[in-house]
Amino acid sequence: MEILGPVLVAGITTGALYALATIGLSLVWGALGMLNMAHGALLTIGGYAAFTLATLMGAPWPVAVLAPVVVGALIGAVIYLLVAQPLLARAPRSFETNVIIATFGVAMALENAVLLIFGGQPFGQSIALTGHLQAGGIFIPWQNVLIVAVVLVLMAGTAFFLARTRAGRAIRATAQHREAAQLLGVPVGRVYLQVLALSGGIAGTCGLLVSSITQLSPTLGADPMLKAFIMCVVAGLGNLPGAIGAAFVLALIEAFASYALGARWGFPLLLAIVILVLIWRPDGLFGRAAVRRL
Amino acid sequence: MAEAALAIDALVTGYDRRDVLTGISLDLPDGALVTVVGPNGHGKTTLLRAISGLLPTRRGSIRLFGRKLAGLAPHQVAAAGIVHVPQGDLLFPQMSVHENLLMGAYLENDQAVIRRRLEEVEALLPKLAERRDQLASSLSGGERRMVGIGRGLMMGGRVMLIDEPSLGLAPIIIEQVYEVIARLKASGRTILLVEENPARVADLADAIHLLDNGRIVWSGPPHDLLERDELLETYLGG
Repeated sequence: MEILGPVLVAGITTGALYALATIGLSLVWGALGMLNMAHGALLTIGGYAAFTLATLMGAPWPVAVLAPVVVGALIGAVIYLLVAQPLLARAPRSFETNVIIATFGVAMALENAVLLIFGGQPFGQSIALTGHLQAGGIFIPWQNVLIVAVVLVLMAGTAFFLARTRAGRAIRATAQHREAAQLLGVPVGRVYLQVLALSGGIAGTCGLLVSSITQLSPTLGADPMLKAFIMCVVAGLGNLPGAIGAAFVLALIEAFASYALGARWGFPLLLAIVILVLIWRPDGLFGRAAVRRL
Repeated sequence: MAEAALAIDALVTGYDRRDVLTGISLDLPDGALVTVVGPNGHGKTTLLRAISGLLPTRRGSIRLFGRKLAGLAPHQVAAAGIVHVPQGDLLFPQMSVHENLLMGAYLENDQAVIRRRLEEVEALLPKLAERRDQLASSLSGGERRMVGIGRGLMMGGRVMLIDEPSLGLAPIIIEQVYEVIARLKASGRTILLVEENPARVADLADAIHLLDNGRIVWSGPPHDLLERDELLETYLGG
C-alpha cells in the first residue's frame, strides 16, 4: 500500500489531466469533424500565459489563473477564423484532411514562437499549491487534489453547458446534423467559433495544471495532446463521456505499468492496448460505424 | 389581389456548375396549401432547398411577404419566417424528442411562448408527449416524421415547406401524417408541400404544380391534373 498509494494518486491526477485535454479535442472533433493538431500548443501557451502574468509581471494569482483561459479562448477563436473557416468554406469535402495539415502548421508556429520568446530551457510554474494531506497512510499533495477538483468542476460545467443551455444544445445539434440546425435558425459559423474558443479556454487551463506538476517547456502540450488523441480514438472519436472514462482508465494502467514494469513500459503498453482495441473494435470502444457526435 | 405569402419568380438554382431549376415561377397565397409534384430527381427538393438558402439563387427572386430571401444564409431565412421540414426528417439522433422540439424554438427567447408552442404541438401530436424523453434515434419512421413536423411547428414561422412527408412510410402511417397536415391547413397555415403522388393531395391542395426537368410544365387544381391521363402517364408513370 505504501507504494501503490502514490501510484494511485499519480494515476488519478494524470487521468484527470488527460481527461481535460481530451475534452477540448473531442469537443472540436465532435462539432466540426476537425482534428485540431494545435491543441497541444494551446496547452503550452496556457502554461506560459499564467507564468508570464504571475512570475514576470507580478500579477495576483486570480488574474494569472484566468490568463490561460482568456489566451486559450482567443487563440482558439483565431484558429477558427483564420484557418478552419476558410478551409470549410472553400473545400468542405476535403476539410477533415486539410485542417489536420493546417493546424499542424499552426502548432509548429505557436511552439516556435514560445521557443523564440522564452527560450528552450524549462521553468518551474510558480502557481501551485504546496504541502500535502495524509489519508489512510497515503501522502496526497494539495496540488494533485486541486488538479482533480478543478478538472471535475470543469467537466461538470461543460456537461451542464452542453446538456442544459440553449447555446450548448445548439452545439450538440450542429454536431449531430449541421444542415438541420441551420434550418432551425442556428448560425453554425458562430457555433463553431464558440466551440473553438471553449476548447481553447479549457486547453489553456489544462496547460496551467500540467505545468504545475511538471515544468514549463515549449513542448509541454505534446505529451497530453498525444495521450488525449489516444483516449479519443480508444473511446470512439467525438464521444465525450467515453473519452473521459478512457482517460482515467488508461492513465491508471499507464501509472501501474510504469511502477510494475518500469517507466519505459508505460507508454508502449498504452499503445499496445490501443492497437488491440482498434483491432477488436475499429470504431473505438463506444464508437459506432458512424461517428457519435456529442 | 392579396399579396402572395411566398412569391418565386424565374428561379434558377443548382448544384456545382449544373442548373437543376431553370426558371421556376410560382405563388403561394397566404393560408393556402400548394403542392409541387413530379418525378424523382427533377428538382422538387432542390426548390425547397433554394427557398431555405441551402442552395444559392443564381437568377430570379424569392420573396416572403415582399421581403427578398435570395442571398440570405439558411439561419437568416429561418429567422425571416420560413419553416423547412426536410426530406428524411433530419432529426438530432442523440437528443430526446423534447430536446428536438426545443431546438425548433431556438430563435424564440420568450419562455412563455416556447411553453405555449410545446403545448400546442403536443396537443396536435399526442404521441410526442408519450415519447418525450426517448432518444430520436429510437423512434419508428412515423414517429420521426411527427417529430420533424412538430419541430417545424415549434419555430412558429409564417410559411411551412414540407418535403415528401410520405417518403418511406407504411400506408396507414401516411394517412396519419396527412391527417396532421390537413389539420395544419385547417388552422390557417400556409404550406408548400412536395409530394410524388398527386392523388394524396387531391382533396387537400388549393393548387398543384407539376415539375419536370427543372421547369413547371403544368399548374392548376389537383382534380384537373388527376383527369389528365396523358400528363400522369408522361410525367408520373401513370
